[in-house]
Amino acid sequence: MLRTIKTDWNILADFQTLETPFPRPERIYPGLDTIDPATFPDFLDEIGLVGMGGSGFQTSEKIKANIGSHTLVINGIECEPGISIDKSVLLNDSLWVAAGATACAQAVGASKVILAVQHNPDLVTELNKLYGEFEVLTFSDKYPAGAEKLILKKLIGKWPAPGARPHKFGFLIQNVVSLRAVGRALVDGIPVVERPLTLAMPSTGFYQNIIAPVGISVQELLEIYKLPYDPAIHIISDSGTMMGKEVPASAPIEKTTLSILILKRDDVFRNERPCTRCGACNTACPLGLHPFTLTERIRKNKTEGPAFKAQMTECFLCGVCSAACPSGIPLVQSLEKGKACL
Amino acid sequence: MSIHSPFVKTGSGSSAMAAWAMLALLIPVSIYSVLYQATFILQFMGYAFIGSMAETIYTLIIKRKRRLICTGSAFTAALIAASVPPTMPFLPMLFSILIAVLLVKLPMIGSPLRFNAAMVGRLFLMLVYPVQIVNWGTPTADVISTATPQELYRSEGFPLEWSEWLFSKIDGTWEGLFMLVPGSPGETFPLLLIPIAALLIWKGIIGWRTPLFFLIAFSITTALCGNSPLYNLLSAATLFSAVFIVADPVSTPMSKSGQILCGLIIGISNALIRHFTFYTEAIVYAVLLGNLCAPLLDRIAFELRGRALLKRS
Repeated sequence: MLRTIKTDWNILADFQTLETPFPRPERIYPGLDTIDPATFPDFLDEIGLVGMGGSGFQTSEKIKANIGSHTLVINGIECEPGISIDKSVLLNDSLWVAAGATACAQAVGASKVILAVQHNPDLVTELNKLYGEFEVLTFSDKYPAGAEKLILKKLIGKWPAPGARPHKFGFLIQNVVSLRAVGRALVDGIPVVERPLTLAMPSTGFYQNIIAPVGISVQELLEIYKLPYDPAIHIISDSGTMMGKEVPASAPIEKTTLSILILKRDDVFRNERPCTRCGACNTACPLGLHPFTLTERIRKNKTEGPAFKAQMTECFLCGVCSAACPSGIPLVQSLEKGKACL
Repeated sequence: MSIHSPFVKTGSGSSAMAAWAMLALLIPVSIYSVLYQATFILQFMGYAFIGSMAETIYTLIIKRKRRLICTGSAFTAALIAASVPPTMPFLPMLFSILIAVLLVKLPMIGSPLRFNAAMVGRLFLMLVYPVQIVNWGTPTADVISTATPQELYRSEGFPLEWSEWLFSKIDGTWEGLFMLVPGSPGETFPLLLIPIAALLIWKGIIGWRTPLFFLIAFSITTALCGNSPLYNLLSAATLFSAVFIVADPVSTPMSKSGQILCGLIIGISNALIRHFTFYTEAIVYAVLLGNLCAPLLDRIAFELRGRALLKRS
């Protein structure tokens, strides 16, 4: 026989005496609802967050500079061709990304969040399910669509001035992996100790998105997956095919490592020949600059002049000119030197 | 060993093969001459070999990195051979190839001002051997055997009806199959040049801007001068020079707007020289004028780009 238990709710408090019958719980530690713009940058420094889209710029400084922005843009466009870690994080860690995006938007006072992804109808449908409250904006999937400058151009509808940062127009553009790290620190309380990245070895057909602890060496990664790496015939590319650099096997995974690619040495070796003045670099440049004229001037030390400085400021070293050069001239390396002339 | 950061290559990646490809494509272009006289191909390859040897000698003299096969100079020599009558004697050809390769092509490497070496060689022939260079011996000896359509057009207005010129002028085994124009080996076969140009542009060996704007400017200026654009396009090596000479990347500007402007300059000046002077084969002067403008056009494009960037806010 069931017996109803009578509970006297008034043991703890007399509801009639309270101002509101059911009082709102008070938060005793900072959470998602109470992001304070004054302390949020310190929190980011505490978890050790740097821009995880490859730049390595200190995120706290960026947030400080961006206070007052009206829109937060989640940059879910891959920074390098061929890798898929940003899309993977967007789809599989949506809780953390959404939490991080909301927190950053509150910290800078942004009222709107835009999700920038590559144009792919299936992906957009999935993302609309996961991120109902964010607006999804699709971009071309042609490299370098993930560059901050090109996203900004689409957002404001015109080309920004050379060297102009997005906060001038009221936008905060954050990489999705950075936001995941923010969300993870907020939700789970874990600082930036891991890095999602793409590990690929095209010659064996191996392709895997992994989450690696920061600081593990490439050698250990290769041993985990038993990849046949041979220093004589392979090179390890840190962060992708376009803007990456060659690293030894003992190099650690850093917070800015987008991908680890094991490429054949023969495929990437470029035999430098004299320039045939075909103009492929000019045609390929996504910003419409004149890469060969710039390198010519750098070589001859003619680095004065407003036209040179404007073009050099505009360039963000995406590497398209070098990749397009049929003569294998290392244009990007010269342009990197030119950045020092500014 | 140098391994730099873009680990992928886009585009053609065929600059090593570019000269080979152009050299090989000159043979189908001059196929009529080959079919008419099979030994022409030996002559053609011989001239190309002379050009190649000239570059080898040059590299021996200045102690640069030596290569045995120098396709760039071979292509220049073959271009000269394809743009003059096949009956050109050997000695003038040798002189013009040596001048083109040793005085124009190789010493100017690296300087922003480059001339089309084949056109300089042909200019030399035009100045020094004016009789031989207009000796257009078309194989079928009829009334127009020694004059190109351009020269006839120049002297008599329309000498032939369009359809007659197209089909019934030259009768013979091979000539009935193709539309053939009397002239130098390269220009006898205008319509074949269109698929060849498409192939070269698709493979990224030549750009499309300079030749396209050259042809547009040439047609419009010719029409404004009161001449038939189509007739002029299909004769006197206009299409041949558009594909093999105007599109030459070395001596034309690198910037996109510069290429368009250079095409316009060459096209307009070519049409004007044809209309107002007695040089009917004016492409040599027009191309050299365009080459002269190339560094200036590049520089203007660079400065304008910088100013446009600075104006942004």
